[in-house]
Amino acid sequence: MFNRETWIEIAHTVTANPLRTALTGLSVGLGIFILVVMQGLGFGLQNGVEQDFADEAKNTIWVRTGTTTLAYRGRQPNRYIELRDEDEERVTEQVVETPAASGRLSMWGSTVQYKNEQGNYPLMGVEPDFAELDLIPLQGGRWLHQDDVEKEAKVCVIGENVINELFKQRSPIGQYIILRGITFRVVGHFTKNGRWGNSMVYIPMTTMQRLFQGNDAIGSMVLSTGDRDLAGSTDMVDAIDGDLRLRHAVHPEDQRAVRVRDNQEEYAMFDRIFKGIRLFIWVIGGLTLLAGAIGVANIMAIVVKERTVEIGVRKALGATSGSILSLIVIEAICLTLISGALGLIAGVATLNYAAPYAQHDYFTNPEVNLRVTVTALIVLVLAGAFSGLVPALRAVRIRPIEALRYE
Amino acid sequence: MLALRGIEKSYPLAVGSLPVLKGIDLNITQGEMVAIMGSSGSGKSTLLNVLGLLDGFDSGGYDLDGVDMSGLSEKQAARYRSQFLGFVFQSFNLISFKTALENVALPLFYQKVPRRERQRRALEMLGKMGMDDRADHLPSELSGGQKQRVAIARALITSPRVILADEPTGALDSTTSSEVMSVLREVNASGITVIIVTHEADIAAKCDRTIRLHDGVIIEDGRSGEVVEPTANGAGSSD
Repeated sequence: MFNRETWIEIAHTVTANPLRTALTGLSVGLGIFILVVMQGLGFGLQNGVEQDFADEAKNTIWVRTGTTTLAYRGRQPNRYIELRDEDEERVTEQVVETPAASGRLSMWGSTVQYKNEQGNYPLMGVEPDFAELDLIPLQGGRWLHQDDVEKEAKVCVIGENVINELFKQRSPIGQYIILRGITFRVVGHFTKNGRWGNSMVYIPMTTMQRLFQGNDAIGSMVLSTGDRDLAGSTDMVDAIDGDLRLRHAVHPEDQRAVRVRDNQEEYAMFDRIFKGIRLFIWVIGGLTLLAGAIGVANIMAIVVKERTVEIGVRKALGATSGSILSLIVIEAICLTLISGALGLIAGVATLNYAAPYAQHDYFTNPEVNLRVTVTALIVLVLAGAFSGLVPALRAVRIRPIEALRYE
Repeated sequence: MLALRGIEKSYPLAVGSLPVLKGIDLNITQGEMVAIMGSSGSGKSTLLNVLGLLDGFDSGGYDLDGVDMSGLSEKQAARYRSQFLGFVFQSFNLISFKTALENVALPLFYQKVPRRERQRRALEMLGKMGMDDRADHLPSELSGGQKQRVAIARALITSPRVILADEPTGALDSTTSSEVMSVLREVNASGITVIIVTHEADIAAKCDRTIRLHDGVIIEDGRSGEVVEPTANGAGSSD
């Protein structure tokens, strides 16, 4: 089946009419090119969104507050709802069960000095659990301890940008820096993606409250849902939401005063969206490819018609139906596979060259993975076999003597 | 060698069917040189189809070299074809993108003969036809007579027992025609049965035996050039 004669004959057919072959190949190549590029773009979009999610643990609930927009129980709107220590205590001890929780009290644009260097960075008071909730990858030193919180210790953990800009190449561990005029000791540092991640300076929540806030506000709050499933985390959201609205007299319809966001639910939603997008891409790409395969089938049908006499001669000379069938089918597969492979290479190359110019918060690393490539190749071979089979069956039915009388 | 008994065949039409062979009885012994004559529509090419195992038949019996050929599968037919039969066609039907040598070697390819062996035997056969100096030429570079010699070499390469020639001189001038006929006579002299379908009386005259077909039945069968009695069993329609 795969011997020298077969290849010589395939090479002959393919080169006998180069323009026709090229145009047919183009339709298949373009189909696979579109499929690959669209898959890549789909993955790029997904990567971007997933990276955004990767900044935080997926099984977290984020609680934020704001001013009320609706009057409720005799209270006027425009009242600021502030989360305090008691809210966190009550929510984590009475309302829901959670393996990890932390407040997030931030002060943006805080002046940070180290020797003669200084810069503005966001300062954030957090609790020890925050590292696992916000997935902070520690590069050196240690994270904040419970002990630091209890003693209101003046210690901080800083991001890579702070090191690069203030410490240059020196190790920051054990060094003293001045945060908003107060001296802190650097105990750890980290590298984190995301817009602000690397510029953060984390200190214990209690220290933040005592030195810079003056009360027991905790800013916002983040809780882990543990290993709860989506339904479990949704129950948790409802419980927290209900409790806070009750305690702070917030109207149930007030969208701004209390906002409880479930990462797991958002992730599930994005996941559904991306499944939809991927399916859509496959359908579009598949149909484009189908159009290409039909083109190949069409050309093969013409080839069979052109070669009717030749096929008749071959039969008279002892060719079996199988050998005729495989000749045509292999030819079609070769045509689709070669042009498809070129389309595939072109698609991957385009993505690789275009990727650096197409970075965006919600679009990173447009790539084609091995699975898509292999699937595309399998689809190609099937398309080729499909496009060869119909004309080949027609070739097999050719009656030699009639073929030989066919002028 | 070849024995047909009451072969009937009809082609389906949109409505009903068209009977083409209406009961053919024919015996051809090893080493005969036979001409099958008849006007167009007489059924002679259908008969050649059947003899050449290129098409089946509706009823009757066909023994080739003592083996019953009825109800063969496509694959079996292809095997017997390549084992027993060689074909020569009116329009030569050489494959245009293959050289003379490759054309002659093609039947051996279907017999799965190794490449070197194929080429050696093909060159030897071209030599016998006086065509070895044209081995590397494409068909388009050969004259009509040369093409037919290559075609005959191709038919002979598998050492068939029977050569079936469909109007082998139809596309040739009279000088070349007689050249080709003398090649076929030489082939016949080597003991191979030669069956020629023709409508030319002078070609038929160069054969030993002439069978005349009309309207699906044999109306004459006898020594070439002689007037013979029809063996017809009437114009009985099969359908």
